Amino acid sequence: MTSKTIRVDYLARVEGEGALQVKLRGDRVEDVKLKIFEPPRMFEAFLRGRHFLEAPDITARICGICPIAYQMSAVHAMERALGVTVDPAIRLLRRLIYCGEWIESHALHVYMLHAPDFLGYQDALEMARDHKEAVEQALRLKKIGNYLMIVLGGREIHPISVCVGGFYRVPPRSELLALVEDLKWALDASIATARLVNGFEFPDFEQDYEFVALSHPDEYPFNEGRVVSNKGLDIDVSEFEEHFFEQHVRHSNALQSQLRKRGSYLVGPLARFNLNYAKLPEIARQTASDCKLAVPCLNPFRSIVVRAIELVFSCEEALRIIAEYEPPAAPRVEVPVRAATGHAATEAPRGLLYHRYQIDERGLIRSARIVPPTSQNQKRIEEDLWYFVPQIATQPVEQITLRCEQAVRNYDPCISCATHFLRLEIEREP
Amino acid sequence: MPGPVRYLIIGCGNPDRGDDAAGLLVARRLRSLGIEALERGGEGLDLLESWSGAESVIIVDAVISGASVGSISVWDAQTAPVARAVFRASTHAFGVAEAVELGRALAQLPPSLRIYGIEAGQFELGSPPSPEVLAAVEELARRIAEELVVAT
Repeated sequence: MTSKTIRVDYLARVEGEGALQVKLRGDRVEDVKLKIFEPPRMFEAFLRGRHFLEAPDITARICGICPIAYQMSAVHAMERALGVTVDPAIRLLRRLIYCGEWIESHALHVYMLHAPDFLGYQDALEMARDHKEAVEQALRLKKIGNYLMIVLGGREIHPISVCVGGFYRVPPRSELLALVEDLKWALDASIATARLVNGFEFPDFEQDYEFVALSHPDEYPFNEGRVVSNKGLDIDVSEFEEHFFEQHVRHSNALQSQLRKRGSYLVGPLARFNLNYAKLPEIARQTASDCKLAVPCLNPFRSIVVRAIELVFSCEEALRIIAEYEPPAAPRVEVPVRAATGHAATEAPRGLLYHRYQIDERGLIRSARIVPPTSQNQKRIEEDLWYFVPQIATQPVEQITLRCEQAVRNYDPCISCATHFLRLEIEREP
Repeated sequence: MPGPVRYLIIGCGNPDRGDDAAGLLVARRLRSLGIEALERGGEGLDLLESWSGAESVIIVDAVISGASVGSISVWDAQTAPVARAVFRASTHAFGVAEAVELGRALAQLPPSLRIYGIEAGQFELGSPPSPEVLAAVEELARRIAEELVVAT
């Protein structure tokens, strides 16, 4: 049997620092470890003793790409704990700011982080020299997502307007209407993006995944819904910890999340799309159909197409919300304090993000639990490689390495969230 | 959207990581002298957007080139590529050098783009900048202020 050692010391185009090690004996995989050596960040510990109103602003700092997800899961968990119901217009604005984050994050990942894998470029910079228009399109899309976050959140990174009970400031109708022309352009650009990435070549690889996502009776999920899977899971978010557990593994500073007695599962665009296809607006379903995207889609490499479909959804949803928006009577509701526990999950661009807080009668946080999407996908990423690498084991070392990196990026992992670069190491033994 | 800006000065860095604050401190010092200057994190795509429409741009960032701590370097981005390794000091994998090269590929470089680098020594979390870097901040702010007076 052939013996080869493959080593890549720096895998870029993921958020955060980690390494991947694949051990091969002939074409047999001996070991796969997604090693996350980014130090633990202790957010759950330093939330203790802080006032519940601070949770959205503190947790937003966990991630520069998906701060809205952290703010949303935090505000919903607090509002559930304290029995607060927000004005329907506030609920719509929360969906709208989430559209901004999805547009910004998906445009970045589809074009700048993942597309170079499919087109054979080392990075987006190299790609930009040959695909100027595509990169310009990506930058404009991302900018429009950022605008949405600025208008609603005060700034695009770590927004400051989201609060428990609503917003510190809500925009007048005119500020949102000013975004309509850009969003119409973005909708067309998203459809063009789906067609573009759908023309890429995808490795022939499918898995029998357990997909986990929120499900809401009439909406493609952002902020609320039951936690469901394609294998029978259907629970209220307060039951999350009864069904999911986190485990420490020696090679990672991020806990690995699993479903009790069932093991790994997948969260993110692929899970949302497969479980909520019927709730996508017509234009997104039509784009999926034009792309001949099967439901369920079981090929993780096609997640790039699904992200583009979610871009279409986000632009259409943003336009719908703006068209019907009337500012709420008050930007936020009063939040009465009591000792309570609250749970919430919302859909970060990368997948389900769970928060649980226990607060005391003074409104101080006694305990906090945060389960980010990348911890949930960690085990599933390793399993994909266990099954995928044998398919390509006879290829040259460089090719295997590139394909492994591409397979990891299918998940758009955010290692900073999960505990920052990814180092890839493939060892081949005789 | 802002109209064309004649001069745009952008200081990049992280205020809480030792010498990485250099660019931000130059921007602050310039403002104290009555000269407009932006403070940015140094993320590449953000920079590309920040200088959009500007005619003459000056960027200040911490660098690691192997020179002595506090040394000041300057690059003219219009005439030559910027060495990506030098700007590895950034928190961002896609930072100043990448922004310049992406801007070049997309024909989105300002007509004039100069980059000043202050040689950094340490990036400890929460630590203050080195004395050599603080001295370089003063020196560079003075140089930029003088240039602008001459140019305008």
